[in-house]
Amino acid sequence: MKGPGGQFALSVGILSIGVAILSGAFYLPAGAGYAQVGPGVVPKFVGVGLILLGIALLREVLTGGFRGVDEEAEKHIPMDWVAFAWVSAGIILYGLMVERVGFVFASTVLYVLVARSFGSRRWILNIVVGFALAAFVFAIFNYGLGLTLPAGLLKFVLPA
Amino acid sequence: MDIWAQLLQGFAVALTFQNLMFCLIGCLLGTAVGVLPGVGPAVTVALLLPITTKVEASGALIMFAGIYYGAMYGGSTTSILLNTPGESATIVTAMEGNQMAKRGRAGPALATSAIGSFVAGTIATVGLTFLSPLVVELGLKFGPPEYFALMVLAFTTVSAVLGESTLRGLCSLFLGLAIGLIGIDNQTGQARFAFDIPQLLDGVEVVTIAVGLFAVGETIYAASKLGTVDEKLEQMTGSIWMKWDDWKRSFGPWIRGTLIGFPFGTIPAGGAEIPTFLSYAMEKKLCKHPEEFGKGAIEGVAGPEAANNASSTGTMVPLLTLGLPTSATAAILLSAFQQYGLQPGPLLFETNSALVWGLIASFYVGNVMLLVLNLPLVGLWVKLLEIPKPQLYAGILVFATMGVYGMRQSAFDVFLLYAIGLGGFLMRRYGFPAAPVIVGMILGPLAEEQMRRSLSISQGDWSIFVTHGISAVLLGLTVLILLAPWLARFLKKKDAKSS
Repeated sequence: MKGPGGQFALSVGILSIGVAILSGAFYLPAGAGYAQVGPGVVPKFVGVGLILLGIALLREVLTGGFRGVDEEAEKHIPMDWVAFAWVSAGIILYGLMVERVGFVFASTVLYVLVARSFGSRRWILNIVVGFALAAFVFAIFNYGLGLTLPAGLLKFVLPA
Repeated sequence: MDIWAQLLQGFAVALTFQNLMFCLIGCLLGTAVGVLPGVGPAVTVALLLPITTKVEASGALIMFAGIYYGAMYGGSTTSILLNTPGESATIVTAMEGNQMAKRGRAGPALATSAIGSFVAGTIATVGLTFLSPLVVELGLKFGPPEYFALMVLAFTTVSAVLGESTLRGLCSLFLGLAIGLIGIDNQTGQARFAFDIPQLLDGVEVVTIAVGLFAVGETIYAASKLGTVDEKLEQMTGSIWMKWDDWKRSFGPWIRGTLIGFPFGTIPAGGAEIPTFLSYAMEKKLCKHPEEFGKGAIEGVAGPEAANNASSTGTMVPLLTLGLPTSATAAILLSAFQQYGLQPGPLLFETNSALVWGLIASFYVGNVMLLVLNLPLVGLWVKLLEIPKPQLYAGILVFATMGVYGMRQSAFDVFLLYAIGLGGFLMRRYGFPAAPVIVGMILGPLAEEQMRRSLSISQGDWSIFVTHGISAVLLGLTVLILLAPWLARFLKKKDAKSS
């Protein structure tokens, strides 16, 4: 993630969100009732605001970068993409798994992957701690508070 | 009914066994999340919002408030021992407090911040008790245009005044407003920006946004940008108790910190950062040993710690009396009220007097509990800091995903959480504040409602906002705040040219 490049992309991103909201707002009715101000008015305002802010950000990027963001200092802590991949994999896998294998197993996988992204390679320990934590939370929520988290594979071993 | 009777009635609510337990749980949780880096009161309250379906209003709100001010106590422990502020409002504490700890004076540093927090919290609660009825009187005179103007002012101060860049603060605010648009328009039933995705018709839950920005974004940032940085945990050596000299040097800063912090919390310019910096600067000036500053001056811990506690209690004034949240946690507290179908504001003091005064009374109780939790038991909390980072953040994410998934039992929300987490990571990386997003998404729809209500009264005539005196003044103030940085620069340039 290069500094000025990243700043440029981010500014364009905010600008385009503004454009998207403004154009979407034209499909909403603008006038309604006595107020003569319908659901479309505030979105237009928000869209225009984001466009103006995006332009102002671009101006900062072109005139020396975001004020108060020290890109030189950022270079000393380079982006660790491997760690980023581990933590991302953890959350995405959780989303894919939680309804299939259940809360406890999905959480264990998440726990182990996040710990790995912070450099922990004590797999066995992390699996045990992650499983214990997830099982504890599951027990509190399902039996204590009566909120149902998906049991998944556990439903074959747990009493109904 | 006079204040004393109402406060007494409040204590009757706060001192029931059940509510005392909720208060204690809130204070415990608040201290814990204050101590732990990576989670804060905003995320914690957001994750606990689902209990509003099971617990009655006074208990839940007492607990949530306990988490809010409890985190201010806990945050200082981390700042002092780890030099990484547990909360943004304890940055200043880290400067002097950590130096004290390095010189073997961790004990007195922890003690002065705990006792200072108690003094400030209690004085600020007295302030809350006597100021609230006055603001309520004022609030009752407000109509929709005044409320709209007040909300616009709050938006501006929260995003433009706080943080390092007005521009990026406003970007955060508008992103929050944009998120607030998603879902059914509550006045016409028109779906907005839901893209025919059924999960979006109900709007985006504040839990998903808060947890995504604060917990997930923070975890991604810590893993991929800070993973290699090691922090040193200072050991607590020596006595926790302060010597007579420490007391003498702390007392003034406590009181002055409170007097700076409380007003800052009450005006819609919340956030505890500014008063802590002000208090630090003031103590540095007044101190008889200015050479000690930067090397562990106890005044530099006592003052800012009192200021941040007083201001977090002060935030309750606009929240309870006007329904105006001025910090991320206050915004989530507001949505907790909404879960019960309650709208904080002047009317709440009439319709739910027992609830409001019970909540206020619980602050007195909570501050006493926190003093006990943070002085004799401080060693326990220090243990939390020994949890290694990998396991700590892994645990945080287990709770984060559980809270977001469990709320609607929807895997869609988990992916949304990841996307917002990425956004939070980028915001953190490029210096965009997260709090205005939360305030914008909660307060935005309320402001829109007041705006459209005003325009119904005036039959579409926008001049209603400037023909009403109070509203015109508030909007003028907003413009002034927004233009102040430019004006200052302009005047400086002019000055430079003329001299």
